[in-house]
Amino acid sequence: MSDPSTHDAWNELRALPTGQRVEVSDAAGHTWSGTVVPRHDFSGDRVLQLKLESGYNIGVRIEPTFRFRLLGGGPAATPPSSRPPAPPRAADAGPWIALLTTGGTIASRVDYETGGVRPVKEEREILDFFPELEASGRVQIVPVFDRLSEDLVPEDWRVLAEKIVATFSKGARGIVVAHGTDTLGFTAAALSFLLVDLPGPVVLVGAQRSPDRPSSDGASNLRAAVDVAHDPRIGEVVVVMHAGPSDDRFAIHRGTWVRKMHSSRRDAFRSRNGPPLGFVEGGKVELHPLVRPPARGPPRVDGPIDTHAALLWFYPGLTPERAARFVEGCRGVVLAGTGLGHIGSDHLPWIRAATERGVVVAMTTQCLEGNVEPYVYSTGRDLLRAGVLYLGDLLPETAYAKMVWALGHSPDAAGVAQLLSQDRAGEFHDRHDPRESA
Amino acid sequence: MKAGLEVHQQLAVGKLFCACPADLSEEVTDAFTRSLRAAGGESRAVDVAAALQASRGLVYRYEGGPSSCLVEMDEEPPHPLNEAALDAALTLALLLRARPVDEIEVMRKIVVDGSNTTGFQRTALVAVDGELEVRGRRYTIPTICLEEDAARKVRESPGEVTYRLDRLGIPLIEIATGPEIVSGAEAREVAEEIGALLRATRKVRRGIGTIREDVNVSIEGGHRIEVKGVQELRLIQEYVDREVARQTFLLKLRDELGRRHARVPGDPPLDVSGLFREIPSGPFSGAGKGGQVVLAVGLPGFGGLLRSPPGSEERLGRELADHARSVGLRGLVHSDELPAYGVSEATVVALQERLGLSEADAFVLVTDRSHERAFMALKRVVERARVALEGVPGETRDPLPDGRTRFSRPLPGRDRMYPETDIPPIPVTAERLERLRSQLPERPEELEARLARSHGLPLEVVRQLVYGDLVERFEALASAGHPAGLVARLLIQDLPSVPAGSAGTPPFEPSLEILGAVLGAAEGERIAKEGIPAVLAALAAGAATVELAVERAGLSGFSRDDLVALVHKVVEANAEMVRTRGEAAFSPLMGDVMREVRGRRDGREVSDALHAEIARIRARPGP
Repeated sequence: MSDPSTHDAWNELRALPTGQRVEVSDAAGHTWSGTVVPRHDFSGDRVLQLKLESGYNIGVRIEPTFRFRLLGGGPAATPPSSRPPAPPRAADAGPWIALLTTGGTIASRVDYETGGVRPVKEEREILDFFPELEASGRVQIVPVFDRLSEDLVPEDWRVLAEKIVATFSKGARGIVVAHGTDTLGFTAAALSFLLVDLPGPVVLVGAQRSPDRPSSDGASNLRAAVDVAHDPRIGEVVVVMHAGPSDDRFAIHRGTWVRKMHSSRRDAFRSRNGPPLGFVEGGKVELHPLVRPPARGPPRVDGPIDTHAALLWFYPGLTPERAARFVEGCRGVVLAGTGLGHIGSDHLPWIRAATERGVVVAMTTQCLEGNVEPYVYSTGRDLLRAGVLYLGDLLPETAYAKMVWALGHSPDAAGVAQLLSQDRAGEFHDRHDPRESA
Repeated sequence: MKAGLEVHQQLAVGKLFCACPADLSEEVTDAFTRSLRAAGGESRAVDVAAALQASRGLVYRYEGGPSSCLVEMDEEPPHPLNEAALDAALTLALLLRARPVDEIEVMRKIVVDGSNTTGFQRTALVAVDGELEVRGRRYTIPTICLEEDAARKVRESPGEVTYRLDRLGIPLIEIATGPEIVSGAEAREVAEEIGALLRATRKVRRGIGTIREDVNVSIEGGHRIEVKGVQELRLIQEYVDREVARQTFLLKLRDELGRRHARVPGDPPLDVSGLFREIPSGPFSGAGKGGQVVLAVGLPGFGGLLRSPPGSEERLGRELADHARSVGLRGLVHSDELPAYGVSEATVVALQERLGLSEADAFVLVTDRSHERAFMALKRVVERARVALEGVPGETRDPLPDGRTRFSRPLPGRDRMYPETDIPPIPVTAERLERLRSQLPERPEELEARLARSHGLPLEVVRQLVYGDLVERFEALASAGHPAGLVARLLIQDLPSVPAGSAGTPPFEPSLEILGAVLGAAEGERIAKEGIPAVLAALAAGAATVELAVERAGLSGFSRDDLVALVHKVVEANAEMVRTRGEAAFSPLMGDVMREVRGRRDGREVSDALHAEIARIRARPGP
C-alpha cells in the first residue's frame, strides 16, 4: 500500500476519511490498528487519531518510515437507538406552549471537529434529547437561530422578539426560549424592554452542561421552564435555571435582574439586588407577589433599536484617550463605574465633550449590587455636572440593553435620558430589603 | 478455564483532575441531589448497561467535604491531568516493558449508577503490549490506563443512593492482563506480583480499598463473567474457583433443560393475588391488601431444577432471584421450595392449574406493592430463565465477603466511550520517557536482592516484606539502627498477630515512633523479643505509651539481676539432679525458668545464664 522509500505515509494517512479502519506499523514492526476519528484541534503535528477496538482513542505520531494498510469492515454500523421511544405527542387540543431555539449548550452536542460542543438544529434532534418535553402539554418547536450566545448581536434580540409576538398571536399560552447561557442575561433584559403587553410568560432557559452528558442540567431546566411557561399568573420575561447544585429546585429570575455570576456552576444565574421572582420545585411554581401579571394583549414589539451604544468597564489605568476612542461614534455610553458610580476625574473632559455633542452617558456600578449615587463624593458631583445620568441599581448589562432600546426610541439625548430613567419592565428596585437578598 | 485480571490501584499524588487531596474523609459539609439520564455516546447508541441503570430512575445524593471541590460536583470543568499521576502510570508502563502511546486522549466512559457526578468516568489509555513474568510463566499486559476513581457509596434506601465525593477523582492505574490465567491460585499470584510492582513506584495509596481487582472468568462453552471490585486479594482464588463451579453448573443445567425440552413462553405474568389472601405471615401476608399483588409465571420443563442439585451449592432459583432484586424486590419464591411461606399444597395445585402446568414444570412468584415493579421483576426473571436454555449469560457480578458473587448488571457493551472534550490530547514526549527511564524504581526482584544483601536476611523473609507491602516501614526502622531481623519479625509476625479489636474500632496502626520504641525496649533488654506481641496487644488495647504497655503486659520490673537470682534459685533447688544428670538437666530446668520469665527476658539470655549456673554447680565439690 505504501512504499517508505518513495513517499511519506502521513500524506495519505492524514487524508483518510473518518470511519476508515487502518493498521499502521513502525519501523520496528509494532502495529496500531483502529478506526480513524476526526483530528483534535489541539492534537500534535503528524498525529493520527485512532479509535482502538477497546473503545479508547489514542494519537499515533506518524514517522516517515511508517507503513500502513487499510482494513476492511469500515465503521461499525450504528446500532439502532435503544432510547425509549418518545411518548406520543400530546393531542392538539388544549393549551400549548412554544419552544423557540436559538442554539447554546442546552441544544448542543459534542462536535468532534472542534473538540467542543455544537448547536443542534433540527426539531427531531431536540425531541430526541428531551423525550419528556411534552409531559405536561403540547410543545411546538420553533427554530430561530442555531448559534452560541456569544455570537448573538442586538439585532437578533429584535428578531427573537418578533418571533415571540408572532408565536403568541398563534395562540401559544407561554413561550420558552432555549438560549446559550453566556449572554442570556443580556437577551433577557433586552426582551424585557422590547416586549409589551405580554399575554403570558416568556421563559429563557439554558444549560451549563451539554445534553450529551448524563449529568446535563438541560433536561431538568427545560422541564421547569415548561412548567413556568404554562403558568397563567406571569406576564413578563423571566429566566429559569437551577437554584442550587441539586436537580430538584429552580429559580425564576426577572429578565432585568438576572446575571450569570459563575462561569460553570448550574446555579450560575442569580437575581441581583433582591430575591428571585419565584421557584419551581416538584413541578410546583411558587411566585413572589412582585411578579407582573399577564396583559390582555395583543402583545407587540416595542422596537426599533439603535446599536450605536457601548458598555465601558472602568479600571485603574484606563486612559481618557483610550476611553474616548472606544466610545467614538456612539450615541449612548453605559459606564460600569467603581463603587457608588465613579470614574477617574481625568475622564471628565471627554465625558463633558460627549454629552455636549448629545451623547447619553449613563452610570452603573461594577459592584453589581446597590444603587449608584452621585452626591456622596465630589467625583460623583463632577460627573453629574458633566451630564452623566445615574441609573439607580440597574445592572451594567441591563442598562446597556435598555440603552440600545432607548436610543431607537428617541432622536435626542433628553428623550433617551428620560426613557432610561423611567421604570419600563420593573427593572428598578424601590427598596433593598436585607432580609430578601438573593 | 481462562481468567484475566484488571487491577485498579489508587495513587497518592492528589486527585487526577483537580487540586483536592486524595484523602478519604468522614467530614460532610454539604450535600446535594441529582438524577442522571442515559445519553447517547459518540454513535448515539445507548449502552445496554447504561440504559438499565437509568431505567431505575434513582435519585443520587452526594456528600461533599474537605476532599471535594466544584470539579467533583460536576460544577466546574476538569483541570489539566495530574502530571505526577501520569508519570506514575508511565513509570509502571516502563516497568512492564509496555509501549506508551504517542498522544494520550482522555475518554468518557458512560457510567450512570450515580458513582460519578458527571455520569461518566474519565479514563485514558497510557500504554499497550506490556508483559509480566510470575514464577516462570509469562502473562501479557494488553493495556495500562489512567483513570479517575468513582465516588464511594455510603447509603442506599428505596429510590435513593448516597455517595461521598471524597474518593471521586482519586487517580487509578488500571492494569489489564491477558486471559492467560488458568487457575484461581495463579490469579492470586499474578495479582500479588502486580501489587508489588505498583508499590515499587512508591506513589500508591495504602490500606483497604486502595487496590481493587476485576476478575474476568470464562470456561469452555461458558461466557465471560466480570467479578467487579474485589478488595481482598486472598479471596481472588475463591472467586475464580467458585465462578468456574457456577458456570459448570449452568452448562450442565442447560443440557438437562435441553433433554427435557424445557421452554420459556412469552406469556405475560398472571395476577394470582386472589390465591394468597388467607396467609397470616411471611412474604405473602399482605397479598390483596393495600395494592400488594402476587404475580406468577410458568417455566415448563423446569420442575426440580430451580433448587440445588445434591452436592452443589449452585441453584437457578438464586440466579433468578438476583434478577428480581435488580429492580428493587426483596427476592422471589419458586415452586421447588413450596409448600412453604404459608403456601399450602392446595394453593400449589391451584397455581399449577391456573398456569396450566404439571409436576414436571416450575413456576415463579413475586410479590410487591407496586404492580409495575412486580411486573418488571418477572420480566427480568423470564429473560434470565430464557438464557438458562443457552448456558451462561455474560454478566458483571458483585463479590460477596463469603467468596460468592451476585448478579449486578449485564456486561457493558463497547459503545460506552467518547472523547472528553474538556481536556486536549496529551503528548507523551521522548524527553519525558527518557527522564522516567533514568529514574525507574527498583523492580520487586531487585529490591528483594538488595534487601537480602544489605541486611543479611534470608530471601524468604525479604519476599514477605516485599509482597506484604512492608518495605517502607522496614527500611525506616532498619535505617534507624534497629536490628534487621528483629524489625522483619516485628512486621511480618508480631504485628499481624495482634488480635483485632471489636467491630467498628479502627484497625491498630502504630506509628513508626511507637514501633521504634517497642523495638528499643527489646534491644535495651527491658523486655524479651518474645514479649513484643504482648506489648503490641497492650498498645492496641489502648495503652498510651510503650512504657505503660510493657507494664500492662506484666513484663516490667524483671531485671537481669532478677534473672540471675531466679536461675540460681532454680538450679540450687535441683542441685541433686544437676549433679546426677549433668548437662541433661538443662532442658527441664530451662522449661521451669522460662515459665517464670517468658516475654520478660530473652530466651538466649536465660539459656546462657542457666548453662553458666549448671557449670558452676557441677564444678562445685560434692557434698
